[in-house]
Amino acid sequence: MVILREGICPGINEEFIKALQSEDIKTVEDFVSCNPEELAQKCSLSYKALVAVRRVLLAQYTAFPVSGADLYEELLSATAILSTGNPSLDKLLDSGLYTGEITELTGSPGSGKTQVCFSVAVNISHQLKQTVFYIDTKSGMCANRLLQMLQTKTPNMEEQMEALQKIKVFRVFDVFSLLACLQHLRSNDLQKASIGGGSVKALMVDSVSAVLSSMLGGKQNEGMSLLMQVAGELKMIAKDFNIAVLVTNHVTRDGNGHLKAGLGQSWSHVPRTRVLLQRVEDAETSSLRTATLTKSSRQACHLVEEFDLCHWSEEKRTSISGKRKLEERSKP
Amino acid sequence: MEFRNYCAKINDMTARVRMAENGAQLVSRLEGRQSLRDIEPSIFPVDGGPGQGDVVEFHGSEGTGKTETLYHLITRCIMPVQSRGLEVAVVFVDTDYHFDMLRLVSVLEGRLAEDCKGGDGSENEPEERVRSCLGRLSVVHCNSSVQLLLTLHYLENTFSSQPSLGLLIIDSISSFYWVDRFNGGESTVCQEANLRKCAELLDRLRRNYGIVIFATTHAIMRNYGSDPGVSEVPGPSSSRRWRSADSVTDFDKPYLCRAWQRIVTHRMLFTKSHVSKDNKQVFSTACTSIMTKGVKRCSFHVMEDGIKFVCDK
Repeated sequence: MVILREGICPGINEEFIKALQSEDIKTVEDFVSCNPEELAQKCSLSYKALVAVRRVLLAQYTAFPVSGADLYEELLSATAILSTGNPSLDKLLDSGLYTGEITELTGSPGSGKTQVCFSVAVNISHQLKQTVFYIDTKSGMCANRLLQMLQTKTPNMEEQMEALQKIKVFRVFDVFSLLACLQHLRSNDLQKASIGGGSVKALMVDSVSAVLSSMLGGKQNEGMSLLMQVAGELKMIAKDFNIAVLVTNHVTRDGNGHLKAGLGQSWSHVPRTRVLLQRVEDAETSSLRTATLTKSSRQACHLVEEFDLCHWSEEKRTSISGKRKLEERSKP
Repeated sequence: MEFRNYCAKINDMTARVRMAENGAQLVSRLEGRQSLRDIEPSIFPVDGGPGQGDVVEFHGSEGTGKTETLYHLITRCIMPVQSRGLEVAVVFVDTDYHFDMLRLVSVLEGRLAEDCKGGDGSENEPEERVRSCLGRLSVVHCNSSVQLLLTLHYLENTFSSQPSLGLLIIDSISSFYWVDRFNGGESTVCQEANLRKCAELLDRLRRNYGIVIFATTHAIMRNYGSDPGVSEVPGPSSSRRWRSADSVTDFDKPYLCRAWQRIVTHRMLFTKSHVSKDNKQVFSTACTSIMTKGVKRCSFHVMEDGIKFVCDK
């Protein structure tokens, strides 16, 4: 709802607004929906002035169409695919995280979502040398763990510090601070980053369900509206700044007992790709996980890949190295 | 006396302008928009394809193939006549940043390649062909229902000045449902005000310019209130009209405002079916329209280069 005020555009002064208010027109939408001829006859305003103001308001507030060919050119040059560092996960995601899209990781507690986020962040900051914004809502961010992961990649202290500096952490604990943080990023930091030097290529929110699920349910509409606003902010950030967004979500069971992502039907439309993480069944304490692709616009669904959280960059084991791994595990 | 002259002058001025507006409308009506009746006979009922001024609602939960079907229909529209396309310009209004241009281009390239196999090989390169097809598509992003309304007003000029524009796609018209509902407070009228204005404007656009409108709506309301927070009954009479299609799924209750329900002429319900023997997911659609009786059902797979229909009845 955009309220008509004087100064909102040239040509609108106080008498103009008063004349419109006598016809019960207080917002821009009401004004634009009215026929200017009828309005000119009812109020004492000139037809020309009404048409001119209408044109200026439309030019100010509408979104403009872009030709498909131009959009395609822009996308070809701007879209990037960020490898996660883990070949199995990359295969599942069709070579990695795509910029301009939201990818979702779901899984029950302990399935490794935060560890996967860490590994991906470390890979992007160290291997690809790009900045990562990490929004932590569960206090799960642990810089020591990041350092540990970097130490397995390179023994050089300077490189480790450089990579750590590229991961910027924001702590928010409720949905309003999350919205404020996202809006602040959109209007300040991301613009500065894209002009300045280092480019931000990834944004992670771990986890989005921690702040939203407490707002849902009951009879109030506020929770759903906030959910859609968070979704809108994430999508705008992803598209306008060409960033890959990775969010984590919890799981619930549906009517048939199958696992499905949390936050309900309305949220389920938001991510473009969804991966479900699960522990491997018979190994309670191991670091093996399976990832199942449950939603994708590029690959057939229900592809499953297995990987090891501790050995992130290694290929999926073949039968030879499998035996070696078994031997390693049987050691004390 | 003075006053009457003044009024007569005003009337003349406005009458002239009114005539000029009608002139443009008249011209675009005489030239006629390209008919989209046989855009895809597999999913629309026989003799019930979308004619001029029809509004088709694609309804389904997430992952049921609505956007894929839209890409399929868009490629059919923007391809040149030699490749069995319709050469109709399309405006795509994207309300939730869902539009995937790269996916559309891969579907388009697949269709162009397959239609060109038997024919002439000395054509322009595939890139040129893709670009010329994409020139017939315009994409607009809207991020609130107010912006959607104002953009539709702006697009009215585009429709009256471009007679080759035959199709308007809104994906999806239900994205602002929750935000509007919260902003409207307690009164349903306030909550639905923006969408009602959009629906009335769309009604005017389709009647004056004869364009076809496709709109997707997400299925977010359950039929039976098992989830007390989410489902509210939005007016029983709106859902009665569409009960002829047996509601197989839990999620096909119409929940948008009545002004929108009134202008919809075809409704297509998308569901995920079984998984076929060669491990491919089968999707199915059920199309009902106010002009024909019965339900037209169809199934399809989603492949690398678009959708492939499995069987028609």
